[in-house]
Formats: sequence, C-alpha cells, structure tokens
Amino acid sequence: MISFKKFSTVVTAGALALSLAACSSGASKETSSPAAKKEEGTGYPTKAISVVAPSGAGGGWDLTARSFTKILSETKLVEQPLTVENKPGGGGAVFMAEYATQQAANNDMLFVNSPPIIINNLKKEGNSPYGYKNTTPLAQLTKDYGAIVVKADSKFKDLKSVLDEVKKDPTKLTFAGGSAPGSMDHLISILPAFKYGVDPTKIKYVSYDGGGEAITALLGGNADVIGTDASSVKEFLKAGKIRVLAITSAKRLGGDFKDVPTAKEQSVDAEFTIWRGVFGPEKMSKEAKTYWEKTIDKLVQTPEWKKEVETQGWELEYKNSADFQKFLGEQDKQVKELLTALGMQK
Amino acid sequence: MGTLDYLLQGFGTALVWYNILFAFVGVLIGTAVGVLPGIGPMSGVALLIPVTASITGGLPPEQAATSAIILLAGVYYGAMYGGSTTSILLNTPGESSSVVTTLDGYQMAKKGRAGSALSIAAIGSFVAGIFTLIALIVMAKPLSNVALKFGPAEYFSLMLLGLGAVSGLAGKSVTKALIMTVSGLLLGTIGIDNVSGIARFTFDVPWLYQGIEFLTIAVGLFAVGEVFKTILEKEEEDGEIARINNMLPSKEEFKESAAPIARGSILGFFVGILPGAGATLASFFSYLLEKKVSKNPSKFGTGAIAGVAGPESANNAASGGAMIPLLTLGIPGSGTTAILMGALMMYNVQPGPLLFEDHPQVAWGLIASMFIGNLMLLILNLPLVKVFAKIIETPKKYLIPMIIAISIFGVYAVQVSTYDLLLLLACGVLGYFLSKNDYPIAPLVLGLVLGPMIENNLRRALTISNGDYTVFLSRPISLIFLIITLLWLVVPFLMKRRGKEVIINVEG
Repeated sequence: MISFKKFSTVVTAGALALSLAACSSGASKETSSPAAKKEEGTGYPTKAISVVAPSGAGGGWDLTARSFTKILSETKLVEQPLTVENKPGGGGAVFMAEYATQQAANNDMLFVNSPPIIINNLKKEGNSPYGYKNTTPLAQLTKDYGAIVVKADSKFKDLKSVLDEVKKDPTKLTFAGGSAPGSMDHLISILPAFKYGVDPTKIKYVSYDGGGEAITALLGGNADVIGTDASSVKEFLKAGKIRVLAITSAKRLGGDFKDVPTAKEQSVDAEFTIWRGVFGPEKMSKEAKTYWEKTIDKLVQTPEWKKEVETQGWELEYKNSADFQKFLGEQDKQVKELLTALGMQK
Repeated sequence: MGTLDYLLQGFGTALVWYNILFAFVGVLIGTAVGVLPGIGPMSGVALLIPVTASITGGLPPEQAATSAIILLAGVYYGAMYGGSTTSILLNTPGESSSVVTTLDGYQMAKKGRAGSALSIAAIGSFVAGIFTLIALIVMAKPLSNVALKFGPAEYFSLMLLGLGAVSGLAGKSVTKALIMTVSGLLLGTIGIDNVSGIARFTFDVPWLYQGIEFLTIAVGLFAVGEVFKTILEKEEEDGEIARINNMLPSKEEFKESAAPIARGSILGFFVGILPGAGATLASFFSYLLEKKVSKNPSKFGTGAIAGVAGPESANNAASGGAMIPLLTLGIPGSGTTAILMGALMMYNVQPGPLLFEDHPQVAWGLIASMFIGNLMLLILNLPLVKVFAKIIETPKKYLIPMIIAISIFGVYAVQVSTYDLLLLLACGVLGYFLSKNDYPIAPLVLGLVLGPMIENNLRRALTISNGDYTVFLSRPISLIFLIITLLWLVVPFLMKRRGKEVIINVEG
C-alpha cells in the first residue's frame, strides 16, 4: 500500500509537471526568435521568417500578421516556415526600440504596423524615438477609415450641426474614443472640428480603455459623439443603435456604409486613413527587399488573400513599397500638423 | 429568443467534444492549483492563458474565445474546490479564500473526520456552484440592462466601494492593509496616463509606457514569495499528514451542514458580485454568520462541520457571483476575474454590457459549461480526494523548482521581456518579507487593479460634468454606492464604540 501511495504521488506530480512543461515549451517555441544574421548572396530566404505583431495576441496588428503569414504559407508563395511573434509593450514602442537598433539588418524579421508608428514617433508624451524612417516600408495591405458616430436617437443628423454646436460652446458636448489623447482615436475625433476651425484643445475629449468601452459610453448616454474606426461600428449601425455622421474617406464606402456621407461631402476637409502595412528592417538587403516586393505583389492578387481580408472584415488596399513610402511621408505631415495644433508634438 | 433557448444553445456549445475536454482539463488543473500552495487561482489562470492561446489557435476566433474561457473559468472554480484540501489535511490553505476553512477543517481532520470534511466541502461547493449559475441566468439579464446606465460616475463610486471593502480585509493590522492598498494605488499610476496622454514615472523607458504589469506583480508576490518562504523557513517541511478514515459524512453531519450550505451560497453570491470583496471575504462572512446563528457557538474552532460547509460554499458561490460584474459590466471583481477579462480581450471579446448581445455563444457557452464543470468537479473530488492529497506529499525539493519554472515561463510567455523577469524575482523577495511581517498582499494587488480604474473614472466623470463634483451625488446609483461605502467604513467603528461585547462574542 505504501509503495502504491508513493507511486501515485510521483505519477500525479509527474503528470502535472509534464503537462505544464509541454505547454510551456510549446508557448516558448513560438516566441523564440530565429538567429539574426545578415544573409548576403542568392537564395533569400534561406531561413524561417518571423513576422512581429508589436502587441499582445488578438489585436488588429496580431490578426493582420497571422492572416499575412497564413496565406503566404497556404499559397506556397513562401516555402520557408513563417511564424508570428508577439512583442507587446508601449503601443509598439518597446519593439521598435529593439528592432531599430539590434535587428536593423535582420532580413528574416518583418513586422506589421499602422498609423501609431507615425503618431508615437511625433508625439511628446510616451514618445518612441524610432519611426517609419527607421524601417523599410514594404507594402500597405489593408485600410479602414475613421467614423464620427452619435447615438441613433441623437438630435444631431449631420456633421455640421455637431461642429456648429462645438463651436458655440465646447463644454456642452462630450467626445469620446478608445485611446488616450494624442493617439489615433483622439485624432479622428477632433480632426473634423479642427478642420472646421474649432480650437482642438478646447474640445472635451474623454478617453476609454478601448473602442468597445467608448461605444458603451455612447449607448449609455455618457458620451455625445465618439470617434473610432468604421469597421468596429458596423454591427451597431446594422442593429440601428447608432448613426454615423461622417466617414473620413475620400469617397463613399460601399455595403453598410453606402448611405453615410464622407466628411468631404459635408464640406469638411477631414481625411484620415487607418492603414495597416508590413515593414522590414532599415538596412534590409536589396535582394530581400526585391523578394518581398515581388512576393507581396503576388499575394494580394490571390483569391485566398482576398477571401481572408473579407472574412476578417477589412478592406483591401494595396500600395507597393514605393507608393507606401510616399504615402507615409504625407501621413507624417498630416499627423505633425494635428499634434502641433494640439500642443502635443515632440 | 428566450433565456431558455440561449441556455440550450449554450449547452450545444459546451457539449462539443473538445469543449467538454477543455472544461475537464480546466477543472482538473484548477483542483491541482487549489491544492498546491503557492499557485492560487490567479497565477494558475494567468499561467495558462498563453497555453490556451496556442491550443485554440486553430479555431475560428469566436469558438477559440469560448473554448479558452471555458478552460480558464474551469481553473478558477476548480481551485475553489481544491483549496479546501490542504486547509483541512495540512492546516495550510491552498489559497486565501480557504484560510477560514483551516479553523474547523483541520480540527476535524485531527479527529479522523477528514473524509467528512473534504466531502462536505466538495458537496457544499457543488450546491453553491449550481445555485449561483441559476442566479446568474436569472439575474444577469436585468443586471446587464442596468449596466448600460453605468457611467464614469457610477463606476467611480462602485470602485471606491470595492477599495473600501478590500482595505478592511484580512491581516491583523488595518494600518498595514492600508499601507499595502496605497502602495498598489501608487504602482498603478506608472505608465502613460490614459486620460491625459501624459507619461508618468516612466523616465522615458519604453518598457514602462504600458505600466507595471499586474500579472508579474501578482505571480511574483504570491507564487515566488511563497517559494522563498518555503526555502527560508524549513520547519514547514515536517507538516503531519492526517489519515483519512471515513469518506462520506454521516446523516447527522449532512443535517448539520444543509442550512450553512444554503446560507453560504446566498451570502457568497452577493458578496461575490461586489468588486473587490470576493471569495476570501465571502468565506469569512459565512464563517462569522454561522457562528452567530449557531445554537452552540463554542463548538466552532474544535471541529464544527458547519464551519467547513458554510465558508466552502460561500467561496465557490462568490466565484460564480464575481462572473456577473465580469460578464455584464466588464468589471473584474477580483484578481482572478481581472485575468479572465484580459483573456477574453485577447480574443477581441469585450466583456461588458453588450457581451450577451454580441457574443451569446461565448457567454452562454461558458455558463452551460460551468454546469458541466461543477458536476465533473463533484465526481472528481469525492473519490479522488485521496489521490489529490498526494500532491502535498511531493517533496519540496521537486515542488519548488516546478513553481519557479512555471512562474518564469508564465510571465515571460505573456510579457516577452527580461525586465519583467527581474521584476518578478524582486517581487518574490518582497513578497516573502511582506508576508513575514504580516503585510497582506491581496490589498496591494487589488489596489494595482482598481487604482487606474478609480482614477480614470473620476476624471472622466469630472470632464463630462465640467468639474462639478456633485455629479457623484446627483446620480442615484452612484449615490447608493457611496452610501454603502460610507456605511462599510463607519459601521465597524460604531459597533466597536457601542459595546465591545459584540465583537468579543464574535471573536471568542
């Protein structure tokens, strides 16, 4: 009996240790980074490629990175194994600090980002010393737009009536968004008012922890207007709970948003694209850069990619390396102008 | 569609073979986590998040979220079952909510009634679990309708209530509890302030921009701290293991336990709903209540079965009650539910007023799986009580490296940062000295969680009202919470002043 007792002790503890160890090693394998060595000469890529999402699992960057690697492998456009790494911290700033210094010539590590790469580099507080200029932009993959949203039973029927009200008395209306002042939601919320000639520092902006909370505040009557990304309010629009007053795109969107006018149509010159793109390291070899330009060019043509983008609820917009670089320059200027008006520039 | 249809659909989700498996693995690990000192439900759930993320990686997002939360919630309430085992057999609570179980449970074990104690703990937990689920189904809907009315002012007052409750909790010295609470609040201010966008105490170090990670602190203070304690205080090695004579309680014991289980379930459920109060407080309340209503209170402390049945039901009911603010309001009521919430958000599922509308599959699947999980736990716990007790017999020299390895893997897998590992170890050392000097750790961890919420909601409310403080008094729900908070803090003082006999009676 005693020996049995001992035996079962060992088995129980052992099984627990084993299962936990197995799980842990599975998790750590995924995050272990491949050796970083500069590969010159022909035959790139010769090693496993990692695509970094500079955030935790589950967010927009992570999903983009996972779709990107998944379709590249499925369509066999890239024969080498592709893995997604999550490097959370500081809204991407932690990863950028490492990437721009220690991995500047690592051709085997790409990453996914969006407007925050520009915003973080330009704003004063929580500044990231490295921006898109410390990378090799490879391609823009998807796009989304900002939306100015009110509750379905709000007295505001169009963008102008909101802006006139703010102009008259900025203390009356509460704007809300899912992230801190100086971040993307804030910029989207105040962009139309700024372009309409309202002092953006006077606007009452309340930040919540994420777009979901901001929408909750809107529905509960604790915010009058919210600024967020169009794709995230789609379900609420369909359910008839909210009214979208304006979209920050150049042209009207299709589908559920076909009746929503752009800010421009209402003669407010507010345009803001929420893009997502893929970047390589600053000192990427020419061979590697050409390889990815060609590969991504092929990727975006495949039906598999188009289908993936649709299931994820994104909008396809492809810009190749050169166009993307130019576009980022324009974005940089726009964000700088906005942050300066807010007094939040570096 | 009615609630019943949703529930049936939930069972459809929960009865998919892999979800049954996830629930089983969850409750199994949960029981082990409850039994093992050093890993509480909080660190147990936290450690398993990256693991479940990689297991469920192949499923579509909504299903992955459901399966992951089924497993993690299983660990949570599984730990409530398992926590009693070490309390009863070794006089060592596996986690804080089972502390009070040691008082009578260990006495029962000493008298050879360990089987009765362990079984009644499992049965009480089961009854409480089923009761809370029914209450959750009936009350979650109305509560989630009220939830939309919760603005920053209401949240602020509610959080204040949670904080008021937590600082009055545990520890011999209220001063020490307050010191720890304030330390937690201070740590919570590090990072980019979400309301103003200003970086505070970051010294331009990008690692600090997102603030101090709550998980690192919690695992460090609890798990690693316990490891240091075990190494440095070797005398714990020779804890005597009680023999288990009978497995099932006698008819008389059942009779004695029925009412405490019922009271514990109801009390635990409502205490659990209050953020910050949680399972530990619920078990203490239940113990005090049982002692108060008992015909012979002198029996308590010498092996009264009501002293095991009540608190063990209450802590399980509280864990179910804590799911209500989590699922309907998006407020974590305890450290563990804070981690569960983080897990849901990783899958883009936002717990909050719209959860039942947006993700009925996740919400109802979870509720249905909790029925199944509770049943599994009862079946698991009754005959396997003997086997689970074996984990305690694992020599410390194997147990300690295991806990350290799990802690380090767990923190690194989530944070991917060596700074966090250093912080983890520092917290371990700190945790040892804190608990050695009777500084309760729970208030610090909850201060860290509640602090930013209190602060942000206060400032949001004031921004909306243009700086008018009366907003907290003019909104009825907010006012109610403030009054409860005030009573919470003032009543004990008044009771003490009116007559010391009352307190002495309860204590003695």
